[in-house]
Amino acid sequence: MVDTPTPDPEEFQDPLENYDPKTYDDPLEEALAEETVEQIRHEPMATISPDTTVQAAVEQLAGLHVACLLVEEDGQLLGVFSDRDVLDKVAFEFDKVKDEPVRSVMTDDPIYVYDTDSSAAAFSVMAVAGFRHVPVLDLQQKLVGIVSPQRVTEFVQQRLPTA
Amino acid sequence: MGLQQNLHDEPVSKLAIREPVLAVAQESLREVIGRMREKRLGCAIVIDDDRKPIGIFTESVLTQLLSQQGALALEEPVEQHMASPCPCVKATDPIMLVVEAMQLKNIRFICVLDEAGCVSGLTGQKGMIEFVADHFPDQVMVQRIGGKPYPNTREGA
Repeated sequence: MVDTPTPDPEEFQDPLENYDPKTYDDPLEEALAEETVEQIRHEPMATISPDTTVQAAVEQLAGLHVACLLVEEDGQLLGVFSDRDVLDKVAFEFDKVKDEPVRSVMTDDPIYVYDTDSSAAAFSVMAVAGFRHVPVLDLQQKLVGIVSPQRVTEFVQQRLPTA
Repeated sequence: MGLQQNLHDEPVSKLAIREPVLAVAQESLREVIGRMREKRLGCAIVIDDDRKPIGIFTESVLTQLLSQQGALALEEPVEQHMASPCPCVKATDPIMLVVEAMQLKNIRFICVLDEAGCVSGLTGQKGMIEFVADHFPDQVMVQRIGGKPYPNTREGA
C-alpha cells in the first residue's frame, strides 16, 4: 500500500479560486446561457396515440385550437402531428387517409430538447433547424412538454428589462 | 446595443422577410393550398387589384375547415375563409410592433407593407426567433440539435 501524503490545508490552493464567472452584457443573453428549457413554459401539451385516425387527429387539433399534437405511446415520444402535416400530407388526400392511423402521416423522429438543456437550445432548434414546435423530454426520455414560438417569445419578453 | 434597444430601434426590414404566397379573392382553396405547399409556407395573403392586402388564409384555418367540412371545403373561394383584416406592419416600423402583435394577439404571420401600403413581404414568429438567434450567436448557434446529450456507454476502458 502506498502512503499518500496528507495535504496541508495551509498549502492547498483551490484551482478555481482565480476563476471569474462569465458575465453578460444583456439579461436575455444570460437567460439563454444560464436558464434551462424547464424555465420556458412547456405545458400544457396535447398528446394522441399513434393509432388515432387522421380524421380524429385533425378534429383534435381543431377542437383544442393548437397547432401541434405530440404522438406518444407509454410516455415515449414517437412523432408530432401539426398543422403543417395537415397542409403537406392530408389536405388534398383527406378522403384517402382520414381513416388511416395518424402514425402514417405524422412527422416521426422529431428533433427534441431535454428539460435540462439551456434555453438557447430551444431557440436553436427553431432558428437553425426550422421546427416551430419542439417536444421536451426529461433525461429518462419521458415526454414532459412542448415549447412553441409563442412560449419562447413569452420567455424573451419576461426577461427584457422594463422601460 | 442590447436586444431591448434593438427591438425598439431597428425596423421590421431587419427581420427575415420572406416572399409571401399571394392569392386573389375568387381563387379556390385548392389552388391556394397548392402554392402554399410548393413554397412551404403556412399562409397566403389575399390581395386586391392594387396588391393591397384584404385578408389572410392560414394553415390553422385549413385544419378547422377539414375538421368541420372535410375535403369539400377545398373547392370554395379563399375569400370565404380568409381572416380580415390581414395583420400588417410597414417595413419601417420598429420590430417591437411585431413582438407585441405576436404576444398580445397570438398572431403567427404578419404582412410587411411598402410605403404605398402594398404587400412587400411576410414575417412573423420565425423571423422574430431568427432575429433573437442572430443577436446571440455565441449562445444559440453553438447548440447541439437532436441526439442524446451523453453517450450510452462510458468512454474508454
